[in-house]
Amino acid sequence: MNAPLKPDAFRVGIGIPPLPEPIIRFERVGKVFAGRRGQGEVEALAGIDLDVPRGAIVGVIGRSGAGKSTLIRLVNGLERASSGRILIEGEDVTGLSEAGWRARRRTTGMIFQHFNLLSSRTVFDNVALPLEIAGTPKAEITAQVERLLDLVGLADKRERYPAELSGGQKQRVGIARALATGPKVLLCDEATSALDPETTQSILALLKQVNRELGVTILLITHEIPVIKEICDRVAVIEGGRIVEEGDTFSVLTQPRHPTTARFVEAVTGVDLPAHLAGRLRAEPRPGDAAVLRITFTGENATAPVISRLSSIIGVDVNILAGRIDAIAGKPFGSLLVSVPAREPELGAVLGALKNLELKVEVIGHVA
Amino acid sequence: MSPDIIRLILQATADTLTMVAVAAGIGTLLGLPLGVFLATSKRGELFAAPFANAVLGALVNATRSTPFIILVVAIIPFTRLLAGTSIGTAAAIVPLTVASTPFIARLIEGAIREVDQGLVEAARSMGATPVQIVRKVLVPEALPAIVLGLTLAIVSLLGFSAMVGAVGGGGLGDLGIRYGYQRFMPDVMAAVVAVLIVLVQTVQSIGDRLARRLNKRLRHA
Repeated sequence: MNAPLKPDAFRVGIGIPPLPEPIIRFERVGKVFAGRRGQGEVEALAGIDLDVPRGAIVGVIGRSGAGKSTLIRLVNGLERASSGRILIEGEDVTGLSEAGWRARRRTTGMIFQHFNLLSSRTVFDNVALPLEIAGTPKAEITAQVERLLDLVGLADKRERYPAELSGGQKQRVGIARALATGPKVLLCDEATSALDPETTQSILALLKQVNRELGVTILLITHEIPVIKEICDRVAVIEGGRIVEEGDTFSVLTQPRHPTTARFVEAVTGVDLPAHLAGRLRAEPRPGDAAVLRITFTGENATAPVISRLSSIIGVDVNILAGRIDAIAGKPFGSLLVSVPAREPELGAVLGALKNLELKVEVIGHVA
Repeated sequence: MSPDIIRLILQATADTLTMVAVAAGIGTLLGLPLGVFLATSKRGELFAAPFANAVLGALVNATRSTPFIILVVAIIPFTRLLAGTSIGTAAAIVPLTVASTPFIARLIEGAIREVDQGLVEAARSMGATPVQIVRKVLVPEALPAIVLGLTLAIVSLLGFSAMVGAVGGGGLGDLGIRYGYQRFMPDVMAAVVAVLIVLVQTVQSIGDRLARRLNKRLRHA
């Protein structure tokens, strides 16, 4: 029960990097659904290549209908791939029988957007369900369920029914239930999409704790960038059944290459000019205009005292119009809109100084 | 009312209760697995067997669309085979059971189809077998609806049992027709109706209360 986690937990616990072989690997995976009567086939996924490193938290983000639900269900055989291969711990699971999948599913936990708790069972009995299914002896079930309820902070709710719990508490029960059989992988299907922002934070913190302390690899799907930003080590962006961008979270979110990624990122990291300025922005400067600059901070230099340097060293008046500093995967990231005099040599000096600080800067227009 | 009449009413009540209880009991034993199968055997479902589903579904519909009084007469040979006779209370249990089984099966099918498919998916994700999904998820989750369905079935059986008097089955309906109607004894008729009302009320309120007790969905913290 508690034995199978040991190697990973040990490695993570003492700071050794996870083993290089991915725990889940998709190789050119496609999924085609038979169409409804009178309609053709529907291609849900095509050419999916994705590695989930052992011990990592990997997020797949996409709009509804992008294929992310199908993707996550391929990992525990709730859906079967139509083409390509899926390797789990090096074993090809593509052709597994239903009985073979049933055994596999006991090493893969899953949590759901709508929690999917049994209304007829208490919190304790819900968490015990996967153990009953696996035929675990009663005494062992009791010990394991109590341990898990402690982990998720619901020991005092063990005899309550799901209808008596809040959304966040229900998802904690879901997490405890998913971990009951000591899985190596936890699949999260929009696990925080039905929760308010504050509860989302606490569930994400719990998932992070589960990942770090138990060494459980997490694959999650979401349509919310904050979820990715908060806990994912790596992210894949899915659009129309294809992965359009993939990489470590910080680089994908700070330097998005695909328009879909850019749109997702803009919603959280984007900074817009206040409306009264945006309307008066013009491309070509007139005498006496101020230039509007967008300065993007990433990583270490996000904390450099940029504005004070500009005004004290170069002696230019810098006017802050809008700004936002955020953290992505634990590293600072943000952007700032400022205006400076559009005349030379001041403007050239400012741009030069910002480039020296290795900040990304762009002149987005001019205002009077 | 003379003591004889009162004795008759008591005997008829006992007969009715016996017929209904035995028919409902056997009907549930047969109808539960049938209902579960009907609810889980269409294309793509847990026990996918679309052909068997269609055949059993048609059989259930055929039985349910036959008027009960015709069913009673039509299956007399079958009744004689099982009960050894085609008249009397014991014999009446056979058509009552034959009529109640498909009815109960449909009610149970409906109750099980109401269970959130997300729960089935969750159970599958835990590695549950189809049988485990039925036993640990579908039936327990559908139980409040099943209890209400069985309550409805028992109330309907009380009505059906009044018709088996036509083939010599005893019970309250038979008493009402023979004494109340044919012998012009309105007090017996009134007594029979009163007893039936009390029985239906009792069954319904027990069923409602039990279903409410079993339903953990409506509780609030």
